[in-house]
Amino acid sequence: MSIAIETKSLSRVYQSYRKPEGVWNSVKGLWNRQHIEKIALKPTTLSIESGQIVGLVGANGAGKTTLLKMLSGLIVPSSGEARVLGYKPWERKHEFLRRISILLGQKNQLWWDLAPYDSFSLLARIYDLDLDKARARVNELAQRLRCTHVLETQLRRLSLGERMKMEIIGALLHEPAVLFLDEPTIGLDMIAQESIRDFLADYVRSRGPTVILTSHYMDDIAQLAHKLLLISKGAIVYEGTVENFTRATEDVRTLSFRFSEELPLDVVLPEGHVLRGGRKEHQLKILPQHLGILMPEIARAGTLQDLKMEETDFEDVIRGFLEKESRIL
Amino acid sequence: MAIAANVEYRVNYFIDAVAQPTVTAVIEILLWVGIFRTAGHATIGGFGLQDYLAYVLWGAFFARIAASWMYEFRMIEEIDSGSVNGLLVRPMSFYEYYLSQLLGYKFITTAVSFLIPLGVGAALGWNIHYDRLPTAVLLVFFYLILVHSISFVVATCAFFLNRIYALTVAKNLALWTLTGELIPLDLMPEPFRGWLLILPFPSGVFVPVGYLTGRVGLETVNQGFLSVAVSLILVNALGLVMWKRGLRSYSGTGA
Repeated sequence: MSIAIETKSLSRVYQSYRKPEGVWNSVKGLWNRQHIEKIALKPTTLSIESGQIVGLVGANGAGKTTLLKMLSGLIVPSSGEARVLGYKPWERKHEFLRRISILLGQKNQLWWDLAPYDSFSLLARIYDLDLDKARARVNELAQRLRCTHVLETQLRRLSLGERMKMEIIGALLHEPAVLFLDEPTIGLDMIAQESIRDFLADYVRSRGPTVILTSHYMDDIAQLAHKLLLISKGAIVYEGTVENFTRATEDVRTLSFRFSEELPLDVVLPEGHVLRGGRKEHQLKILPQHLGILMPEIARAGTLQDLKMEETDFEDVIRGFLEKESRIL
Repeated sequence: MAIAANVEYRVNYFIDAVAQPTVTAVIEILLWVGIFRTAGHATIGGFGLQDYLAYVLWGAFFARIAASWMYEFRMIEEIDSGSVNGLLVRPMSFYEYYLSQLLGYKFITTAVSFLIPLGVGAALGWNIHYDRLPTAVLLVFFYLILVHSISFVVATCAFFLNRIYALTVAKNLALWTLTGELIPLDLMPEPFRGWLLILPFPSGVFVPVGYLTGRVGLETVNQGFLSVAVSLILVNALGLVMWKRGLRSYSGTGA
């Protein structure tokens, strides 16, 4: 399989200035500013095969959007190299831009005062598409997204979910070979999230574009991504398949239990676990092999009324992983 | 697209196309009537009251065409807020995108707003050279491209400085005088008058309106076209450099 996206020591440093508190410091800032540098992305080397769907996961400010912006040509790196479909993204050659698309969940990219049909017809001209074919494609995508009824309503009058569906049609109109999805389901209710997720899953299965997806909703990643990139404090801390990641961490279980009375004090258990005082209900993330050591200690701590052990879901695993990485880094 | 977007807000469109230049023209007409009454002369600078009234009426509507501050604000806002991202990832030019919007918007407003000076001029029997109107309009639209290029340069400053709206206001005040919207430039003392006429800015109001109302001849119009053409090359070269440097420092705000 060919490589669609490749980076070598790609990094980005942002410059800003310190803004100390107070009016006098604001006035002083007119002639004296203390500039500071923030490393948004440390030198990063990665490669993504054509047709892969990559989930880019990290906390806010971890560097995932910076990576996405560089790969889509929005910003220029401070150092390093990148090739997307063989192009240097930040040169923003029209042949390159015709083959990619970026969907920014937090930004409108269609025209606020125009009805989506008008916006799509403008986009068809921008991308040099056959107008009849583009129109047919809009109708096909709108049917699949179940939103044909809003195509003639101005964008500003649509709900958030409807607007996002319109943005998706706009992003897919020219059938991009590489698709950057930045928080495509942000702010949507669960039904809208699911509908968009199902549509995207179906679309990537049938059309096979290379996709880089960032999302804070782990269901998006779990359902869509073949490969996982975990990013923390500007560095990739895990790169591999979703299955391998889950397998490596699947032994973690959630042990939930309730005592008949609140614990008067904290109780320290083996393997670094602690039961907090003043609570009846407790939850521990444990490895199954530690259950034998922990159970007698838990039973000694109080009278158990309820006990449950569950597999930890993907979202919890990711959260735990990122928390651990944040402590290490 | 600019036409569709602008006629979407009907009241705003009519106020913009008709009320704004009409109010400007009425203020200037009252001012010149007052000046002539207090001066006690039949002519000022070789021209009578009717010449000045015709100049300020047409001047207000030409100045309306020659202004791009609304689109300049939008361009600055796009860069400052990061909504320019939506344009940067598409195979299109930011400069051309806004130029086409600006031209579309000016065509649709001019078509309506010019009915007023045409109607008033015909009703009052003013001495207007209507055969010169196409050339005058062509010059002001050519000048509009230069104005857009200057706006583009101003907007690129937002890559480095973010908030630069004050620059637009200061530039507009300067253009108000330099174009001849405030007073006809032939009233300026020499050598300023000669210097001003070499610059491209009089092609926004003074030259086309002067040509239409008989204050200047075709040679001044030709000089205007030449001056705007040379300025376009220089300003666009500067714009290209600023844009490239701006993109290098851009952080893709807000995406």
